[in-house]
Amino acid sequence: MRAFEKNKRLILGAVGIFVFLCIWYIATKSTTLGKVMPDPVTVFGGFFTAFVEPIGTKTMTMHILISLRRMLVPYAIGGFTGVLIGILMGWYKVADAIFMPYIQMLRPIPPIAWIPLSIIWFGFDEGSKYFLIFLACFFTIALTTYNGVHSVDETLVRASRMLGANDRQLFMTIVLPTTVPYIFSGLQVALGSAWATIVAAEMIRSSEGVGWLIVRGQDIGNMTQIMIGIVAIALTGLLITTLMRVLENKLCAWTVRGK
Amino acid sequence: MKNKQTAKMSKFLIISVLSVCAGILAWWIVTDVLELFRSNVLPSPVKVMQTFMKKWVETKPDGATLLQHLFASLKVALGGYLIGAAIGIPLGIFMAWNDKIDMLVRPVFDLVRTIPGVAWTSVMVTLVGIGYMSKALVIFISAMVAMVINSYSGIKQTKTVHLWVGQTFGASNWELLTKVAIPSALPMIFTGLDVALGSAWTTLVAAELLASTRGLGFMIQQARGIFRLDIVIVGMVVIAITGAILSTIIRKIGNKIVKGGRLG
Repeated sequence: MRAFEKNKRLILGAVGIFVFLCIWYIATKSTTLGKVMPDPVTVFGGFFTAFVEPIGTKTMTMHILISLRRMLVPYAIGGFTGVLIGILMGWYKVADAIFMPYIQMLRPIPPIAWIPLSIIWFGFDEGSKYFLIFLACFFTIALTTYNGVHSVDETLVRASRMLGANDRQLFMTIVLPTTVPYIFSGLQVALGSAWATIVAAEMIRSSEGVGWLIVRGQDIGNMTQIMIGIVAIALTGLLITTLMRVLENKLCAWTVRGK
Repeated sequence: MKNKQTAKMSKFLIISVLSVCAGILAWWIVTDVLELFRSNVLPSPVKVMQTFMKKWVETKPDGATLLQHLFASLKVALGGYLIGAAIGIPLGIFMAWNDKIDMLVRPVFDLVRTIPGVAWTSVMVTLVGIGYMSKALVIFISAMVAMVINSYSGIKQTKTVHLWVGQTFGASNWELLTKVAIPSALPMIFTGLDVALGSAWTTLVAAELLASTRGLGFMIQQARGIFRLDIVIVGMVVIAITGAILSTIIRKIGNKIVKGGRLG
């Protein structure tokens, strides 16, 4: 019975996507929309041929990998410092008092609004993009980690203190297990916004990468290339967030079971 | 005990204030006093304040005052946002309430929602040209996606027991939806309104950086071109403050309307 339900979901989902593609196809073939919008066959055909035939100077694989590298290096740095600062702020009231006002002041600025400043400070190269992604990740991860540390049950802390746990034991066995799920939710949110930010940064200034694909398509008036770029962005985004969720389910098995 | 606690609180408040003052002082020292950075790399806080005051009346160098830019941005952002919410909320509720529609539409929606709002800019600019329409459409998409996700999960989180109770008392499907599911989804819907506002505002800035002739994003992009970093920083501050104010308004309205619960 359950297997049938699962199959039903799969079949209806496939039908949904098929119907969507059909509407897209018919709309472009039969109306004036077809003059500006390529049909799905052209777009997906173009997407797959781009893996062997380069767009610009690079193939699709390289565009995607370049964007991913640009994103992952500062994502790792931002994640690490974010977790560190978040735990510091959560645990020490003084650190909280020192850093919190800055985080509260800088966080409302959308990472994309930093683009002009970062270009002047770090030039048009990778430096400015690293800076933007770092900003896009850091605040989210620091704040979720901070909330995680604050959600630690005070009774558990006092009980373990009474039973003679030292700071390291307290941190490893009580604070960390409570905080990790929060850290992961921060990492997940930050991953999405990092991906959106790198696309925006590449659209404003770059010579390769998935964001460049779209903006180049716009410059030369090639709608097919824009749509190919969007497909690449959507699929890569889907892939990395799914990977992250799988990783979370593997590493935080205890919270998943608890749900 | 209570006095001690408030004393402790104010101690940390003083540390916070000192921390911010130290930051601004350090900024002032490296720019105005030691002159380590020129104003086209890092303008001094004094310069930024002066520009902030002047920009309300001055149209140089980008052809509009701060207020005109702000209104241009708000007009686009709120236009796209309101239509996005007006379509996104019912769509999310409908998807969550009707299982068949859910299974049909969900995969398509999951694919579309992975596309960042900014990426639509190129499509819209090619379709309708640079102007109000293209930006409003991009914002509409990014706001709608956030709205659908949140109202969808709000309805899905309705307690089955509550629905059973409703059914036992003979409520129709429509009554179950409007009397049980939607009220219990309201906090999530308001979270969605808040999230959607954030993403609409971010997307707007991106769209204005890319293709625009007026607005805050346009202003900072132009100022960057002529190395007027004081204007860039003023623009960023105004963007941040406006975003924060709008989000506070949404949360205030939410707290008024949502009964029996509080917004996270």
